[in-house]
Amino acid sequence: MKMDLEGASREIRKTIIEMANRSKGPHVGTALSCVDILATLYFDTLRLDPWDERDIFILSKGHAAMALYGTLAVRGLVDRSVIAGYYQNNGTLPAHLDRFSLKGIEVSAGALGHGFNIGVGMAFGFKKQKSERKVYVLIGDGETQEGSIWEGALFAPKLGLENLTVIMDYNNLQGYGRPRDICSFEPAQAKWDAFGWRSFQVDGHDHRALKEALAAEAQGLPKIVLARTTKGKGVSFMEDQLVWHYYIVTDEHKDKALQELG
Amino acid sequence: MRNAFMNTIIDACTSRGDVFIISGDAGLGVFDDFKETSPDRFVNLGVAEQNMAGVAAGLALTGYKVFTYNIVPFTLYRCYEQIRNDICYQRLPVVMIGIGSGVTYAPQGMTHYAVEDIGIAQTLPNLIVFSPMDPIEARLAALFSLDSPDPVYVRLAKRGEPNIHSSETVDVSRPIQIVDGSGTALLFHGSIAPEVMGARALLEKQGVRPRVISLPMVKPLNGERLHAMLEGVEDVVTVEEHFAEDGLGGILAREYARRMPSWRLHTLGVEKKFIHAIKDTAGMRDLFGISAEKIAAYVLNLDRGRG
Repeated sequence: MKMDLEGASREIRKTIIEMANRSKGPHVGTALSCVDILATLYFDTLRLDPWDERDIFILSKGHAAMALYGTLAVRGLVDRSVIAGYYQNNGTLPAHLDRFSLKGIEVSAGALGHGFNIGVGMAFGFKKQKSERKVYVLIGDGETQEGSIWEGALFAPKLGLENLTVIMDYNNLQGYGRPRDICSFEPAQAKWDAFGWRSFQVDGHDHRALKEALAAEAQGLPKIVLARTTKGKGVSFMEDQLVWHYYIVTDEHKDKALQELG
Repeated sequence: MRNAFMNTIIDACTSRGDVFIISGDAGLGVFDDFKETSPDRFVNLGVAEQNMAGVAAGLALTGYKVFTYNIVPFTLYRCYEQIRNDICYQRLPVVMIGIGSGVTYAPQGMTHYAVEDIGIAQTLPNLIVFSPMDPIEARLAALFSLDSPDPVYVRLAKRGEPNIHSSETVDVSRPIQIVDGSGTALLFHGSIAPEVMGARALLEKQGVRPRVISLPMVKPLNGERLHAMLEGVEDVVTVEEHFAEDGLGGILAREYARRMPSWRLHTLGVEKKFIHAIKDTAGMRDLFGISAEKIAAYVLNLDRGRG
């Protein structure tokens, strides 16, 4: 499917709103936050053909599953009918990722601080096999409170994982507050620099900036792209609102949101 | 047992290109040669167990058969959620090797004992659990693990345990009768073997001859076969260097409830309390009633009770 990144992002957002409304489940804000990152990956950066030699994308912040399901659907990798069974009784897709549920779900994830380390392992495996395959992992900013993230952060540069790119969905809102109010989150980029990563900071809704950062030379090191985002992006009444981590999308919300998305 | 297991894995590396070993900064001397000969198949991932388990899962997803090596608490406890979600839920061929079963490391202190690992491992679907009793069972468990598509947890003591089997013809995926006998059956797993065999020898002198059965594969347990092997005995005594209610004792209690056999069940092992006693391994076993003498006394008492 030929689609520009703006158009793809809009379609993914609309799909997410519909899934959230149908399921009456949480996490719409977190899903909307990372749409432009996923669109850039799946419509530009990732090598997906041939499938057996594809690059790997791991959604470590697995509670944004709707964003991945939506992206796979809009990209044409998954049938829309499968998406309709998201979060339904006797349905098709769970709210957190199960790799046995769908082609294209590389890793089961939902508990934070897991997919990141699996990504380190996959990048290490590909490197050992001298494969050209690359590994991309999306983590949340709140997720970096997990100790496992920093365990992996210590080892990835030492292992020379230049085939590993981690993107942090830097929306500055977690379940019950702002990371910087909850812990000594900042300076985030300096922490990754100090751990020996090659770091970039971009507007996480600017497709061009994301593309450039994702394509930048790794210089023998793992990369981290701190993608500054807005939780709930694209729907004005959800943007940067804590409540939309858990709020349910009613029919009224849905109509309003779809109208805004156009 | 440790060397028998690890050497089997290391030997397999010469004929297999997919074997990868991760140490969590453990195994003094175990990997010295291997590191030199196969640097592309070994990594020390340091004191970072959650990362070690996650990386093992990732390597497995790229096609490797991965072995992680550490003492039991750091193999299984510290990173339980990684083992649950990343390895078992994803059904990946990772083999987790835990050293220092039971109170092998006494008197290192409770943090370094492993008296609940079977109980924890039992909670994990897809996971196969081995507790070999001697170097032969350890080597056979290693061979099984190499070909297992499912994740495996292997509980080992340390090195230097004696062989009890005389050949490698046994099948470690099933309960194994070590000595025939009658009246009582002694069921056990793992490194408590010398105490159990010692008890058997002490009892023999008194004319009491319990049947002795080793259960190297604790999960899944071949209950059908075990039940048949217990045919005719009046008492079954489980012996383990583990919390009795969460280990083999607990497993047998469930088997008992399921089948309602004619024998009575007795569970010997570690009482479910944190261990504050400062004793060596032999002293601990005596304290918990699982030394050769204490096991023999227990069985003798059962025998006398039968008249």
